[in-house]
Amino acid sequence: MIWLSLLMALPLVGSLVVAALPKTNEKLVKQVALATTLVVMGTTIAMAVGFQRDNVELQFVEKYSWIPSFGINYALGIDGLALVLILMSTILAPVVVLAGWNEAHGGRWSIKTFYILILVLETMIIGVFTATDVFLFYVIFEAMLIPVYFLIGGYGTGERSAAAVKFLIYSLFGGLLMLASIIALYVMSGAQGGHTFDLVALSHLEMSSTTQNLLFLGFFIAFAIKAPLWPLHTWLPDAAQSATPGTSVLLLGILDKVGTFGMIRYCLTLFPDASKTFTPMILVLALISIVYGAILAIGQRDLKRLIAFTSISHFGFITMGIFAMTSQGHSGATLYMFNHGFSTAALFLVGGWMISRRGSSTISDFGGLQRVTPVMAWTFFLAGMSSLALPGLSSFVSEFLVLVGTFTRYPVHAIIATFGIVLAALYILIPVQKALHGPITPGNEDLSDLNIREKIAIAPVIAIIVALGFYPSPLLKVINPAATHVIAQLGFSDPVPNLTSEGK
Amino acid sequence: MIFTAPVLNYTLLSPILILLGGALIGVLVEAFISKALRPITQLSITIGTLVLSLSQVWKIRNEQSMTAAMGSVVIDGPAILMQASILIISIISVFLIADTDHFTALAAALPGSDEERHSLQTGNQVTEVYPLTLFAISGMMLFPISSDLITLFVALEMLSLPLYIMAGLSRRRRLASQEAALKYFLLGAFSSAFFLFGMAYLYGYSASVTFAGIRQSVVGGSGNDILLFIGIAFLSIGLLFKVSAVPFHAWSPDVYQGAPTPVTGFMAAATKVAAFGAMLRIYYTVFANAEWSWTPMLSGIAIVTMLFGSLVAIAQRDVKRMLAYSSIAHAGFLLTGVIALNKAGLEASIFYLFAYGIATVGAFAIVTLVRDSGGEVTDLNRWKGLGKRSPWVAATFAGFLLAFAGIPLTSGFIGKFSIFSAAYESGAKGVVIVGVLSSAIAAFFYIRVIVLMFFTDPIQDGTSVEIPSVLTRITVIFSMIVTIALGVFPAPLLNVISNLGTFIR
Amino acid sequence: MMTSNSLVYLIALPLAGAVILLLAGRRSDKWGHLLATGLSAASFLVGLYQLSLMLERSNESRPVTQKLFEWISVGTFNIDAGLMLDQLSICFTLLITGVGTLIHIYSISYMSHDPDRRRFFAFLNLFIAAMLLLVLGDSYLNLYVGWEGVGLASYLLIGFWNQKPAYATASKKAFVMNRVGDMGLSFAIMIAFATMGTVSFSGVKEAASHTSTAALTGIGIMLLVAAVGKSAQFPLQAWLGDAMAGPTPVSALIHAATMVTAGVYLIIRSNFIFDAAPTAQLLVVIVGAITLMFGALIGTAKDDIKKALAASTMSQIGYMILAAGLGPVGYAFAIMHLLTHGFFKAGMFLGAGSVMHGMNDEVNMRKYGALRKFMPITFATFGLGYLAILGVPPFAGFYSKDMIIETAFNSGGIKGIIFGSVTLLGAGITAFYMTRVMTLTFTGKSRWDEEVQPHESPWLMWLPMAILAIGSVTSGYLLSNGDALVNWLSPLFGNNAEHEELLSPIIVSGLALAMVAIGVAIAFIKYSLSDVDVVAPDDVSIFTTIARQDLMQDRFNEAVFMRPGQALTAVLVKTDDAVIDGAVRGVGQIALGLGSFLRGIQTGFVRSYAALILIGAVVLVAAIWVVVQ
Repeated sequence: MIWLSLLMALPLVGSLVVAALPKTNEKLVKQVALATTLVVMGTTIAMAVGFQRDNVELQFVEKYSWIPSFGINYALGIDGLALVLILMSTILAPVVVLAGWNEAHGGRWSIKTFYILILVLETMIIGVFTATDVFLFYVIFEAMLIPVYFLIGGYGTGERSAAAVKFLIYSLFGGLLMLASIIALYVMSGAQGGHTFDLVALSHLEMSSTTQNLLFLGFFIAFAIKAPLWPLHTWLPDAAQSATPGTSVLLLGILDKVGTFGMIRYCLTLFPDASKTFTPMILVLALISIVYGAILAIGQRDLKRLIAFTSISHFGFITMGIFAMTSQGHSGATLYMFNHGFSTAALFLVGGWMISRRGSSTISDFGGLQRVTPVMAWTFFLAGMSSLALPGLSSFVSEFLVLVGTFTRYPVHAIIATFGIVLAALYILIPVQKALHGPITPGNEDLSDLNIREKIAIAPVIAIIVALGFYPSPLLKVINPAATHVIAQLGFSDPVPNLTSEGK
Repeated sequence: MIFTAPVLNYTLLSPILILLGGALIGVLVEAFISKALRPITQLSITIGTLVLSLSQVWKIRNEQSMTAAMGSVVIDGPAILMQASILIISIISVFLIADTDHFTALAAALPGSDEERHSLQTGNQVTEVYPLTLFAISGMMLFPISSDLITLFVALEMLSLPLYIMAGLSRRRRLASQEAALKYFLLGAFSSAFFLFGMAYLYGYSASVTFAGIRQSVVGGSGNDILLFIGIAFLSIGLLFKVSAVPFHAWSPDVYQGAPTPVTGFMAAATKVAAFGAMLRIYYTVFANAEWSWTPMLSGIAIVTMLFGSLVAIAQRDVKRMLAYSSIAHAGFLLTGVIALNKAGLEASIFYLFAYGIATVGAFAIVTLVRDSGGEVTDLNRWKGLGKRSPWVAATFAGFLLAFAGIPLTSGFIGKFSIFSAAYESGAKGVVIVGVLSSAIAAFFYIRVIVLMFFTDPIQDGTSVEIPSVLTRITVIFSMIVTIALGVFPAPLLNVISNLGTFIR
Repeated sequence: MMTSNSLVYLIALPLAGAVILLLAGRRSDKWGHLLATGLSAASFLVGLYQLSLMLERSNESRPVTQKLFEWISVGTFNIDAGLMLDQLSICFTLLITGVGTLIHIYSISYMSHDPDRRRFFAFLNLFIAAMLLLVLGDSYLNLYVGWEGVGLASYLLIGFWNQKPAYATASKKAFVMNRVGDMGLSFAIMIAFATMGTVSFSGVKEAASHTSTAALTGIGIMLLVAAVGKSAQFPLQAWLGDAMAGPTPVSALIHAATMVTAGVYLIIRSNFIFDAAPTAQLLVVIVGAITLMFGALIGTAKDDIKKALAASTMSQIGYMILAAGLGPVGYAFAIMHLLTHGFFKAGMFLGAGSVMHGMNDEVNMRKYGALRKFMPITFATFGLGYLAILGVPPFAGFYSKDMIIETAFNSGGIKGIIFGSVTLLGAGITAFYMTRVMTLTFTGKSRWDEEVQPHESPWLMWLPMAILAIGSVTSGYLLSNGDALVNWLSPLFGNNAEHEELLSPIIVSGLALAMVAIGVAIAFIKYSLSDVDVVAPDDVSIFTTIARQDLMQDRFNEAVFMRPGQALTAVLVKTDDAVIDGAVRGVGQIALGLGSFLRGIQTGFVRSYAALILIGAVVLVAAIWVVVQ
């Protein structure tokens, strides 16, 4: 059964249905959109059940010739890494739709357009994680920018169009660098027995180390822009500040994962040697991102920007875990991607509700919410705790795995990164204190607490954050084989402790 | 001396002959049919001729011949493809030209004279534009299949002269239009002079005007290289002028802006196909073996053209000028295909030309729709909020812009990818890098227009969008479909091209 | 090791309470506090049951474990969610649940007027659960979960009245400073995994003997950092004083009896590391000694009764840490002092709460006085605690503290003498500041405002105080009678090597009592014979001033960490926009500028266009010429 194509088709169909609906019947539009995303989620879970955990080969493979004269195929397939990310995306999609039930109202265009864009985007998200043909991946990778661009520019707030353009230009620039690398790969494959874009085939290309380094950079910079790595991050805060909460979730929670996903799937697979060459520099950038992102988060006055900067710090952790080249670091990074999706979602959605109620995203405009809107306040608090990786919540497992995994090979890096957890306490507790504690600041007296829809929307997110904190094994069992496979392919094995045989 | 009667293969020449015939009939129509009937008659004749010609091209699609006209034209795969592209582009352009609101009532009348006013009142129309178009098209059809310098030059003038006139036919801002026409004419003449000069040198070099002859001397390497090089250089100037490559581009922004928009679209699309068609043939066949001498030159020009076009486009405030510079940038991208000098390069260039041509006509078709009481509105600032007023028109235009920017799932992306990879394959890595960079720059101003249309609030200044006529609508929809289709399923066309895409020498 | 299936209930019961109360929300306002108390008590009973089982078994087979499920497993990093109950953790379990339950009961009445009482009890249960996880976890990572769990509970309870900005800040301060300590714990775990490939207690214990001393020292120091953070030891002690912002029962339970002693637990639990890492061990003693004095000195200057008690807690934990640093000989006594301290300090805090209860939440002791007439029970229970902490025989403190002093002296060499004298001096100062508290509060003239009507607290409050008082009287004797505790714990700490005796117990006790007597005397003269002004006098020695400001600890932190940090943040925020984003914008500007500049070529004059073409032609020819040559 062609699961993956089905997954990609469903949201597209949904968007067509939405397109067919009358503009005036907004309720119906939303319901159809929600139903679609729910169906997609169900289908994904159904597919996940059939996934063989210990099989490191790509599964649910599909392959059809697309542009034969360039050797381009419509080729899909997933491993544990991709599966986890698809699960995350398809679970978050309905949450976003339900949570942002009214966020499209401030937009330039109809509610209908909003949900069409969302659904089309979901198709592309699934596609980008499942594509195993580099060309296909690139096509979706770039095309994905357009709906996001319109979502930010069309439905955002404040300097939305400027932010949207900044996002698009940044991404296009990275994308074009990647295109150059892809062209080079394509040409080389032609020289070495037949033009192809097949990931596996390309990973066996022979190339001089110089070429490999250059091409690696082409890919890596593109991904480092997506999953913002210092100093390529400046588009993110603006985008997050302007986008609607739902869009921000899709952007930071899901789309940016394409960057870290790409680092594993493409940078490491296609350019193993270059990856090793650049690891030291990348680790440094990751470290800077961790600390820098945290410090800037502490310095933010705007809630959305603050969350954006925390994400920059988190992406630093993920990148560090990826390039630590240990199974703990790698699995941790993958799990981190998943968890970050949910904790960011929680932060943005609850933060979004606070902002929409208060009509301001300046942290200091809030105050004493814990006494006005207890449920909202405590939900935000919990989201914050998961963002600072409190043990018992999902993000702790991943963050600690990354740290431990890094420590075994790069102790100094791990030690510096660990200081991030103190900064994390600050960047979460400061806004918590300003917004939730203290006396009720004027203007907040009669904010309304979460309504039933919002509770239903956020409940699964919180549930997952807590559940995976205590019992992450189901995910880890899916992730581990994929992670160890990549590590092994790069010729790495975990450092082993050297215990002196004789006792003292 | 003995006079040998020329042997002509009329089947192979029929596409051109049909066009010329149609054009002549058109002239007669001008003379004998009453004013009232002329527009519709002319239009149907023109379309008919073009379709007929296209069907002829289809008939001879698998033919190959060096001797169709005493060795002065060559019919081969690329020739067929070029001719087909030119014809298709011409058809949809004629649909735009049919919207006579863009053309002056009486070309001969002085701007602002009583004559003009009177002719306007009497609802006069310059139906001469149709036969002119046909003449131009037949020139374009001949240009890429010419296989000797004389024919080449004739074809060049044949396609240029009607365009000079057509450029001056704008209904509004007539003075600007006529100025543009004059500029185009003068500079065209200037470049033609270089072209002739180059021909002379080449003849001096090889004592032959036929491509085959010159090619032999190049391969043989006998003869004075200096003559060859100067010949190549000057001949190139003529061609580079037509494709508006820097520094021979200066005319295009003014002409694009001044000419009636349908004509601009026609020129921008069809002329490029013809000129690049000829260019490809010459560089791929005649000069192929002297490539070490001219690739550096062309690479330099390509680089300058791409960068210049993209950069200056950023600073434009007028949509037509912006498109002009974008077309300069694209000329640069296309030059990389010429530099590639391999089969992939040829195929890529043909695909790119077709895709770009269609998208260009479509884009200009949209431009014709945005108007106020005084005619078209090309000031970008007045396009603000177009997406709110008429989302579909704005969306379509955005689509074409994205295609120009080379965003995936549009024909532009496939074109860019194939042409860059071809160039890269031939080792022109530097040019490809610059190409990629300038695409990034280019993306910037395409996106700026999208921002204007969608993310800025409309200003109430009477700018409105014309309800497109049926023909215009056909053009727009057709171009859009092709642009998307070639982006999503390019395989069929690519196959056709790779089957036909080889020059015979 | 034997396995048991009932360990999990110890944690599950209070945890369930917390979850139910938090999710049920206001609906459970009516019965929430009862449920919470009941569950805490139930957990205590489970603890007793486990103790009874343990007593039936022989020394070696006493520890039991329970594996719940596989928690994290990546490569060789395999962590089970597993529990372990041995002679050490049972002591803590009973202390936590026992004292915890008493304080639940106390709080029913103490918090009865608070609209959020239900939430308070939910947090209390959460704390109990987390603290039990901390002492029951069978690996450092499980301990870590409890470790931060109690941190969270403490944060929530300190900031329970966070509508007061000062309180909110206090809770934040506590959390952040704890996180600094937690960092140490993470490092310790990382080093352990990197060098030993395991982080379970049993695994590390086994591997310790095969690991380089350097690594062990590293782990030890990092564990010490963790302990320092959690137990408010020098230099991470600054949060404890502010933590008194929390409701008094919280101060009694978390910031006196249990959580703050977690550091002691961590060090003793890791005995196999410290015993093999002398350097780290020495550091432990030093930290203990410094904090011991540090707290005591602060205690002498505080007028806020709770802060005085907090300072005392800091100092007493200093004793424990010091003892724990003395190695196997000290462990048992550290635990003993920890337990007795749990009783008398909790008792005194509850007493303080009872006083505040009767005095409209007044905390300034200078506004107390002569309260013994009005609150006899509180006076009595507090007084017993007082005698206990002073170490007056036969009260609890006498046994535990004297043991520590003695062990310190006998730890050998100059080290022994130094630390011995420090502990001895500490005892004296303790006597001074506790007497000060006692007299200021209960004796002398009444100094409170008219509107205040001091009154005894209801039985729900004094009953727990009474029970704790009994503990403060008897616990010392019970635990040390026949070396009960020492023998009980000895299987965990291996052979208890006897040092040569520098001073005999009798002499030590004598000295200690002498010091105490001096301390009491000075305090009595200073505060009981002479009148006490209601407002703290300003004409005081520089030492007093410094002591009042907690020996400048906050000023130091602000000057060294906070302000530079804020400055750095501000600078980075600016540079991010100006430099990094500026560079990005700059590129755009450059492109635009170039465009506008090149646009200048487009003059509109045919002549210049033609010239351009001509130039182009020349350049072309020139170019080709170059190529050809």
